[in-house]
Amino acid sequence: MLFDQAIDIPETLKGDAVSVTLMEERARYNLRIKSTDLTEFKKLTGLKLPRKINTSSAAKDVTCLCVGPDEWFVIAEAKSKAKLDKLLAKASNKFVCSVTDISHRNVGFEITGAKASRLINVGCPLDMAIEAFPVGKVTRTIFESAAILLRRTGEESFQIECWRSFGPYLRDFFVRASRDF
Amino acid sequence: MFEIHCPYCDEKRPEIEFAYAGEAHIVRPNAQDQGEMSDADWSQYMFIRDNVRGEHCERWWHQHGCNMFFNAVRHTVTDKFVMTYKMGKSRPTAKQIADAKK
Ligand SMILES: [Zn+2]
Repeated sequence: MLFDQAIDIPETLKGDAVSVTLMEERARYNLRIKSTDLTEFKKLTGLKLPRKINTSSAAKDVTCLCVGPDEWFVIAEAKSKAKLDKLLAKASNKFVCSVTDISHRNVGFEITGAKASRLINVGCPLDMAIEAFPVGKVTRTIFESAAILLRRTGEESFQIECWRSFGPYLRDFFVRASRDF
Repeated sequence: MFEIHCPYCDEKRPEIEFAYAGEAHIVRPNAQDQGEMSDADWSQYMFIRDNVRGEHCERWWHQHGCNMFFNAVRHTVTDKFVMTYKMGKSRPTAKQIADAKK
């Protein structure tokens, strides 16, 4: 399936203060595993899952995000999918865990620019100050009643993931909200 | 909108991320007892609640966050959250509640 077949979003939003880009296809996994197995998991797969809740670790092309005491997202370049499929299948044979491929369930947006955090605060009440939400912090939350995954990738850049079916709604919302800036 | 402290995320989060999940510390009868229980006892467990006017121990679910259930002491009149604590911890004592208010 082509990435943009199921989501009708024509172009990227480019502004002086904030830009929103629909991300390329990604390999995404939801992973539930006991936190006591993390050391063994790293030995087997080479993936370093962050232990602290709401933090993320980025290594080369793979980002691991901790969203709960025993829940992680693994997001990687699409070209790494075959490799990760094998690695995680191996892990699921060894550990009591659950691995779900959600590559096509989600779409991702990159939000960049001086007013990126202002745009997020239009639909989400979390404190986006750099002290309260530092680079690398990640969380599930609500954006204008849509459930999202939010990660700060830089001082002025964020990544938002949502279910594919919410994509057009969020994209439309970004466009209208950014008219105020 | 007010904020609720999630004991798993260990930070205050907006209330829209949370869902209420009923009174806390109600022990489910074990499977064997369930077979031998009278209907009256079962309905007591199932439906009868204290409906406290004041500080109430109740379950909350950080649905759009870490996805964990936890317990909270909330005043049912003022809606003020006195404290929140992880699942598995026993009902806070009067002293613990008083300390949390300080
Ligand atoms: Zn939480």
